[in-house]
Formats: sequence, C-alpha cells, structure tokens
Amino acid sequence: MSLATETRPMTRREWLLSDRPQSRLQARLGRAYMTWRRFSANRLAVVGLLILLGLCFVAAFADLLAPHSPVIGNLAGARLLPPGSEGYLLGTDDQGRDILSRLIHGSRLTLAVVVLVAIIAAPVGLIVGAVAGYAGGWLDAILMRITDIFLAFPKLVLALAFVAALGPGIENAVIAIAVTSWPPYARIARAETLTVRNSDYIAAVRLMGASPARIVFRHVVPMCMSSLIVRVTLDMAGIILTAAGLGFLGLGAQPPLPEWGAMIASGRRFILDQWWVATMPGIAILIVSLGFNLLGDGLRDALDPRESGQ
Amino acid sequence: MMHKLNGRFRLLTASAALALAMGAAQPVFAETPKDTLVEGFAFDDIITMDPGEAFELSTAEVTSNTYSLLVRLDLNDTSKVVGDLAESWTVSDDGLTYTFKLKQGMKFASGNPITAEDVAYSFERAVKLDKSPAFILTQFGLNGDNVTEKAKATDAQTFVFTVDQPYAPSFVLNCLTATVAMVVDKKLVLEHVKPMTPDDKYKYDNDFGNEWLKTGYAGSGPFKLREWRANEVVALERNDNYYGEPAKLARVIYRHMKESSGQRLALEAGDIDVARNLEPGDYEAVSKNGDLATTSAAKGTVWYISLNEKNEKLAKPEVQEAFKYLVDYDAIGATLIKGIGEIHQSFLPKGVLGALNENPYTFDVAKAKELLAKAGYPDGFTVTMDVRNTQPSTGIAESFQQTLGQAGVKLEIIPGDGKQTLTKYRARNHDMYIGQWGMDYFDPHSNADTFTNNPDNSDAGTNKTLAWRNAWDVPELSKKTKEALLERDSAKRAEIYKELQKSVLDDSPFVIIFQQTEVAGLRGNLKGFKLGPSFDTNYVWNVSKE
Repeated sequence: MSLATETRPMTRREWLLSDRPQSRLQARLGRAYMTWRRFSANRLAVVGLLILLGLCFVAAFADLLAPHSPVIGNLAGARLLPPGSEGYLLGTDDQGRDILSRLIHGSRLTLAVVVLVAIIAAPVGLIVGAVAGYAGGWLDAILMRITDIFLAFPKLVLALAFVAALGPGIENAVIAIAVTSWPPYARIARAETLTVRNSDYIAAVRLMGASPARIVFRHVVPMCMSSLIVRVTLDMAGIILTAAGLGFLGLGAQPPLPEWGAMIASGRRFILDQWWVATMPGIAILIVSLGFNLLGDGLRDALDPRESGQ
Repeated sequence: MMHKLNGRFRLLTASAALALAMGAAQPVFAETPKDTLVEGFAFDDIITMDPGEAFELSTAEVTSNTYSLLVRLDLNDTSKVVGDLAESWTVSDDGLTYTFKLKQGMKFASGNPITAEDVAYSFERAVKLDKSPAFILTQFGLNGDNVTEKAKATDAQTFVFTVDQPYAPSFVLNCLTATVAMVVDKKLVLEHVKPMTPDDKYKYDNDFGNEWLKTGYAGSGPFKLREWRANEVVALERNDNYYGEPAKLARVIYRHMKESSGQRLALEAGDIDVARNLEPGDYEAVSKNGDLATTSAAKGTVWYISLNEKNEKLAKPEVQEAFKYLVDYDAIGATLIKGIGEIHQSFLPKGVLGALNENPYTFDVAKAKELLAKAGYPDGFTVTMDVRNTQPSTGIAESFQQTLGQAGVKLEIIPGDGKQTLTKYRARNHDMYIGQWGMDYFDPHSNADTFTNNPDNSDAGTNKTLAWRNAWDVPELSKKTKEALLERDSAKRAEIYKELQKSVLDDSPFVIIFQQTEVAGLRGNLKGFKLGPSFDTNYVWNVSKE
C-alpha cells in the first residue's frame, strides 16, 4: 500500500508544497511559490503588477505603439487640439505634438529613471548598512553619521541643489535622486544586520573561517533583501514624483524630451482653456505611481517572513 | 518713520477687518486700493536700478517713471523731442555744441535742487562707469578723460554738451532720451559712494554710487522708487517734489508674475489692475471679458535668433542662410505670437525711418539642406541655444528645434532665467541665443549701431553691440553705419539704412523673426493707461481709477 502511494506521481503543486523537499532547488521554488500565492491572493497587488507590466510593454514597443512622432509636431495645422480629435486620441500640445505619442515615449524616460535610481541607490544603501551593522564600532559610527547627514536634508531640496550644481539634464536628475535616496536603505539594512549578526549560523560560518566580506555578502545581505525590495518598490512612486518635480522645474529632462513632469510644466500655461495638455501627463504619473504603490504593498505582505508561516 | 509705519499698519488692519466683514456677507472679491496701480509684470531681467548701468527692458520702464531726462520723446510725434528738465536748447552753427537751459526751481525727490551740476555729474558717472549702455554717450566722443570738459555746467541753469562730429541734431537729441542719460541727484549719490582702489581696469577712486544705486534711488521723476526686491516686487511712490504735473495715483506696485495664466487669473479676480505679459491665448480670453479692456502698441522691438561666429560651424554663410530657411515663419506667426507680434525679417522695426518691409524668407527644408550640404554638413551637426524660460522664447525655440531637426541639425536648448542667459550672451559664451532687441532711442541708428557696427571684434572690445556679442566682424558695414549717421539728408540717410538691412538679410548671423506688439490687459475702471512706442515710454503717471 505504502508503495502504491509513493509511486503515484506528485502533482506539480504538491511537489512545490512538499514539506520535505528533496533538493535545494525544490525548497527555493517551494518558497517562491508560497510567496506568489500570498501575493496573488491580494487583488490590488496584482492590479499594480499589471500596471507595471503594461508600462514595461509600452516602453519596449514605444516606436510601434506611438501613432505620431513625440518630438515633431504640426504647429500650423494641429495645435492644441482637444482629446478625441481625429488622429489625436489625447489631443495635441502647444507645438502641435500628439500627447499620446509623447506619453508613450515618455514611459521610457520614467522607467529608465526608476530603474537607474534603484540600481544605483539600493546596492549602495545595502552595502553601507550591512557593513556598518556587521562591523560595528567606529566604522558603524562614521557610516551612520554620514547617513544621518543626508537624512537631515529634505529629499527634494537636496536633489534640487545637486541638479543646480551639476546642471540640468535627465542624467544629472538620476544622479541627484540616487544620491538623496540611499540613506533610508542603509538604515534598513543596518537594522536587519543587527538582528542577524549574533545568530548561531553566523557564528558557525565564522568558526569555519569565513572572511568578514564573505559573511557580509553571502550570509548577511541576503537576509536584508526582502525588506529592502519592499522599501525600494514603495519608494519608486516617490522617485517618479521627484523626477517629475525636477522636470516640472526645468531641471530634469530638457526639451524636446517627452518627460511627463516637463510636459505638465509646459501645459500649465494652458490649464484654463486647454486642460488636457497638463492633465494627460498628470494622469499618467498618477497611474504609474499607484501601480508601484500597490505592488509595494503586495510585496510587503508577501515577503514579510513573520507572516510566512514557515 | 515708526509712526508712519504704525499708521499704515493700522490702516491695513482696518481694511483687512473690513474685508473680512464684507467677505462674510458676499462672495470674496479682491480689489486693489483706489490710489494704487498694481501691475502683474515679469521682471526677472532686472539686474540693477542704476540708470548709468541698467540696460534691461523692465528696468527701463521703472527708471523712466522715476528719473528725469534733459529731453523726452514727444509721444504725439515720435520723430521729435520735448523738454523735460530742459526749458530750451540751442545747437551751434558748426553742429558741435549743444547748450541746454534748465527750468527754474526744480527739486529732486530728496529735496535737493536740480542744477546743471547734477546733469554733468550724471554724464560723467555714466561714461566713467562704462557699463553696457555707456556707448550711447561715448559714441559722441566722450571718454573718462574728457567727459568733464565735454559735458559741463557753465552755471547752475546751463549745461553744455560738445560732440566730436557734426551729427544730425535729431540723432543727438534722440540719444539723450535714452535711460543712460537720466539725471541723478549728485549730492545724494556722493553721500553713498564706495571707495575703490584704482587699477588698470578701473581708474577711479570711487564707484560713483554704483553699488548703492543698484537698489537705491536718487531721481526726480513723477514717481520715486521705494523698493525693488528681485523677482518679487517693484514699488513706486508718488514724488511730491516733482516739478511737473503730479502723478494721479499715489503708488504703483509691480508684482513679479511670470505666468501669463497667473496674470490673467489675477486680473480677472481683480488682484491686479494690469496684466503685462499675456500670451496670445490669454489675451484673447481677456479681450472677450466685459469687465476687462485691452490695449496694445507696436514696439520698436524685434525678436531674433543669433548665431555666434566664434563657433566655426555657425560662422559659415551657408549655415546662416540655411538657418534663415529653417524657421517656420507662417506657423509661428499664426500661433505662437498671434496678437503679440507680426513676422518681420529686417532689423529696423516698421515705422522707423528707412525700415525695409520685405520678408523674403519662408520655411524651406529642401533649400536649407542644400545649403548645409554646400557648407560641408550634409548630415547636420549639434549646437546649443540659450533660451530665457519665458514665452514666447521657449515656444519659438522648441519650434525651431523641430524644424532644425528636419534638416538634421540637432539643437540642445539650455534654459535659464533672464539674468543667466543675458550674462552668458554678453560674455559671448553662447552658441545660439534667442532674444529681443528694443531700440534705445527712436532713431534708425539705434538698431543699425547694434546689428551692423562692430568696431573692435576682440574679446577686449568695449562696444558690446549685438554684432560684437556674436563675433560678427564687419568693418565695411561698420563704416557704412557711421556714414549714415552723418548724412543730414533724410532721404539719402534712409537709403543707406535700407542697404544695411539688405546686407543683414542676405548674409549675417541674425535670423530676425518678428516685431513685437506689446499688449496689456486692464481692469475696466482704469483710465489713461497707454503703452508707449518703446520700453522706456510706458509711463504710468497719467493712469487714474474711476
């Protein structure tokens, strides 16, 4: 009898949920599946994910999707047309450019800013925090005081100062936002590190002769990842808003780049009579920020080890 | 002083309380005080209030209302001048000596009497400071060494001005209507001079009050300058010591408002009486509003894009001509500048002696591409343009960016406020620049002198004309410009100016786009508000309220 049950092929689900995984791979996949189940149970989080997948899709195929050029308009023939005009679904701006096409191409800039800031700021914060937390002593004190200095300034004001010093432009905006957004990650990473640095498995690794660098990167950093990912995702909405804010103030993307914040800035002149010029990019920013926030919320629930039940 | 402030404060609190009480009874309706004119005005170009240094359009409006001149433009016939401080004047037979008799019993706002000494000192400091507008005076042969001889007071009421060549008298008098010739209160300024150490660049031991006058005031106009806070407010107050007819309103407040839509909203709400920087869309809306009125005046101002010849690509004549074919004149005229200007491609504004009213260039990408290929750039190149971030500069720049792109030229726009872009332009560190040129006095020479005169093209050149700023070295045209100046026969003089304009049209780093019409939106209860033909004739002393 027992033989018969063992030979019955496991369903893929059972294999993933097995409480006695046969390999590391199975264990990892099992955990990932659990996480996905918790995540997908949250409807709003899935909506957020879909919004962002949509954003990525639009950005990837912008050239195919955009009905018009984002930078060359028809000043004489199609200036400030209202939404729904023939050939211009969302209307045109003051240079006769199709707003829909500009939004579609602008998604690339938005995505680029978010991704670049995330891959610059998150690792920096992670390393600073993990090193400070693990090393302790004077190194901890120095790194954390530097972090405190950055935290002492309002984020947008500091970013403004950096851009003013570096000169306007989208690259400099990315640098400025990255420079101002790593300190919270360092704080989180340090807090997580402090909880694990004295645990038994770290002591075991140390006894086996692992170097501090190996301990930090192989055994401490992975423990900080989940809370960091949640925090970065939740911050992305803020990053988009900061980038749009810089664009709005003329310090981010320069004309004719279809950056959404800059589009709002140029459209606000017409807000009384041609509301759509400023409203459309505003709606785009709203939707994408909402997407990131929903996704971040869902990830927090899904990744929180205290609620994982394992 | 304290007492006065308290009084004013009490008044303010009282009116605030009254406003609150009224607000409870009926919808909130803001109204400016009966004795105060409030204008919404973008004046981010103001650098200094010193008439000896200021050369900005917004400053000209403020100083022309607060300072006096020997002679002013006659607004009824702009080819003539009328006396302001001067009662009468005579020109010697050789055309070199001008003698001005001052009116009797005039006083500065400070209470000091106005004498010929003050006039002489004003000329002296303007010439010795040698700031941007000094050339208007130094072109008559004045310099730091001879100015006290050539512009001097022979007695308290007589001022004698000697020029180096027998210019047409109207030209000399027109020049004296420029803001640089405004008369400052010598006694008051001398109280505020700052000692300087003379060196090779600056030979005098004091700054002639230049630093103090940056925000200070030492004039005698119908209004006195009470306060200027950069990008915030300019406040004028009636000058009770004024020698002429007193201003009708007690004070004039210019509020810095950059946005056209903001000005329109404030005008509609009654927060301001005059909106000065209305864009076409908003101007149209204001003109349809029954509570509001509009006024407009053609200005002696042309808008142009200039190419710095220090950039070797932009120095090529084919490139310059190609760029003239790459402006979409028709579309810009029909949209971006509708109501605030009309397409005009020569450097003399319509209405001025000798103005050429031909617009030979049209938008033609094929022709431009051909010219660019001839210049050796069939695939175009990359170039930057400094743009003041107000309209219509930005709009035109963006349109130009697109049309240049169609011929393969990649234009990078460097936005900045008026101060940043102007400073860079005057140091000729730009590639391209979009700007406006307002005439300094109503004479064709004003524009000819800046567009076609460049006596010293080296970086050390002190005559910083537009030709100099764009490193356009034109000895032939400079000579011709001088000739026109000494030509006493009006018809012949006009002919020379026509030739100069043709040269600039055919072959120059200037792409002239349009002539400005200045517009303003007004509250319906305003009387007597009139825009002048230039930026230093937008007088506010005749304005009153019903």
